[in-house]
Amino acid sequence: MIEFLGIFIYFFIALALSLILLGVPYLVSIRRADPEKISAYECGFDPFDDARSQFDIQFYLVAILFIIFDLEVAFLFPWALTLSQNGFFGFWSMMLFLIILTIGFVYEWRKGALEWS
Amino acid sequence: MYLNQPIYNQVSFSSFLFENDYLALIPEIFLISAGIFLLVYGCIFSTSSTYNFPILSTNIGWFVILTFIYTILLIYNAEINNAILLYNTLVIDDFTQFIKICCLLASAVTILISLDYLKAKSLNAFESMILILLATVGMLFLISSADFISLYLTIELQSLAFYVLAALKRNSEFSTEAGIKYFLLGAFSSGLLLFGCSLIYGFTGTISFSECAKLFAGTAGLSESISTSTFSIPACQLGIIFLLTGFLFKIAAAPFHMWSPDVYEGAPTPVTTFFTVTPKLAFFAAFLRLFLEGFYDLIDTWQTVIIISSSISMILGAFAALTQNKIKRFLAFSSISHAGYLLVGFACASIEGVQSLLLYLIVYIVMNIAVFAIILSGTRHTKNHTLSQIKYITDLAYLAKTNPLIAITFTITMFSMAGIPPFAGFYSKAFLFFSALSSNLGLLAILGILTSVLTCFYYIRLIRIMYFSIPKTWCNSVRIPRGNAYILALSFYFLTFFIFYPAPLYLVVHKAALALCI
Repeated sequence: MIEFLGIFIYFFIALALSLILLGVPYLVSIRRADPEKISAYECGFDPFDDARSQFDIQFYLVAILFIIFDLEVAFLFPWALTLSQNGFFGFWSMMLFLIILTIGFVYEWRKGALEWS
Repeated sequence: MYLNQPIYNQVSFSSFLFENDYLALIPEIFLISAGIFLLVYGCIFSTSSTYNFPILSTNIGWFVILTFIYTILLIYNAEINNAILLYNTLVIDDFTQFIKICCLLASAVTILISLDYLKAKSLNAFESMILILLATVGMLFLISSADFISLYLTIELQSLAFYVLAALKRNSEFSTEAGIKYFLLGAFSSGLLLFGCSLIYGFTGTISFSECAKLFAGTAGLSESISTSTFSIPACQLGIIFLLTGFLFKIAAAPFHMWSPDVYEGAPTPVTTFFTVTPKLAFFAAFLRLFLEGFYDLIDTWQTVIIISSSISMILGAFAALTQNKIKRFLAFSSISHAGYLLVGFACASIEGVQSLLLYLIVYIVMNIAVFAIILSGTRHTKNHTLSQIKYITDLAYLAKTNPLIAITFTITMFSMAGIPPFAGFYSKAFLFFSALSSNLGLLAILGILTSVLTCFYYIRLIRIMYFSIPKTWCNSVRIPRGNAYILALSFYFLTFFIFYPAPLYLVVHKAALALCI
């Protein structure tokens, strides 16, 4: 547990450093805002249409896929570390888990959840 | 070498440890593998351009029914009928085997009576069938769960499938609303349940029901302020209250019933059928085991809660259904009042109570399946020939003229639901009240009888509408689909002729109750 102390201190040092880097330009730069400068950048043109557009469902699908396979990895870590003790029983248990997940993946693949048109 | 020796032993030990356990789990293993197989089959063929993107819901529906029938056969012919499996995680005995068979039958019948409806309403998602299968898998494991972890995990497996099923009809606002409501409230109730589990685990250090029973044995007389040296009883009582809250949420008993009318109304009708009939079986099975085995010595705590919830459910179910105009909402409130009656059997906490509860559950399932088989058959308006569902109670008007046979079946089912003598509903209800009386719950029995007199009013109102009220728009009932017709006929015979030969069911139910209580 004590080895996390270093990371904890490191986190504060990194926070301080980034705050310093963020703060220095404020101290040294000259800031004069005008409408041209603060308007939204769209390749030099004025904005063409409403900023609100229909959100693509694909992003959700990818996010959900990520959560599922991230969980899979969370299960794989302890398995990978203790495989020498668990033997074939442990090995095949995980294979069963992976097969079930793979079938879920096959389903997604065939349904076209991974196709970006 | 010294280190390797025990590890080697452990490997050979663990690989043979579960050999017989898997033998006992063959029905579930078969069901899961069939589900996976059907999922792959469905997703490959439904997206295949060479087969012109076929709609597979009916096809896979029949496959799922077949799978359920095979699973029933596997359970019925199981070699191992009494065992504790997988490190005290699951248990099988006569009780679980009986409930599992009932659960599978109910799911199969639900699919059978909704196939034509799905086709007519073009709800073309074969996944719904797979989800019903997965929910049933979850319920089978729930029925045989013997510790808190398997209890919670299986509840989540079946609930997750249910949330998706409730929101099956994506283009309907009601269905999505039902899905969201069910998801939020269901997740909340699961959270309460999980908190109850963790309280009990935290204060006893065990997750197994039978270990809990040993731990609490003999603590019944202790006053609530006393904490024994190893664990604290008041904390465990708090955990039990949370567990009960989660349980009452899931079976839609008042005062935790708020979700059920909206969800029943909004979800597609086949899904409503599934929600009405199967989960009650599984939840009652799991919680009967938990409370009658694990917490039997803390009966003072949970019996009070169940009695209160039971009486509120009966009263609310009797009064709230009076004002309902939509048939699915009406049935939701009717099922709340039935949950109240079922809880009477739970509160008895005796063999007789469990027996009457199981009998009531079976009759309840048969009655609901009969009603939904009629609703799912639909009506056809004379002007435009589209199949429409019986949505309002008044849609039943003059069914006695347009389809007298269906009207009679519906009438018998309603009489049975109301508990009118020669039908099965009466016997199950009477048996329930007898067991309540013999467990010194006289007030509960009297309340049950009074509310069941009240419920007669609205059940008979439906019959009046069918026979005597003249409708504004005439609707012809369609030719009932073959599957629905068979199911209707069977349930009609069951409800009518149960009186002549009730012995087999009483015996089976008694055997199941004995397996649980002894």
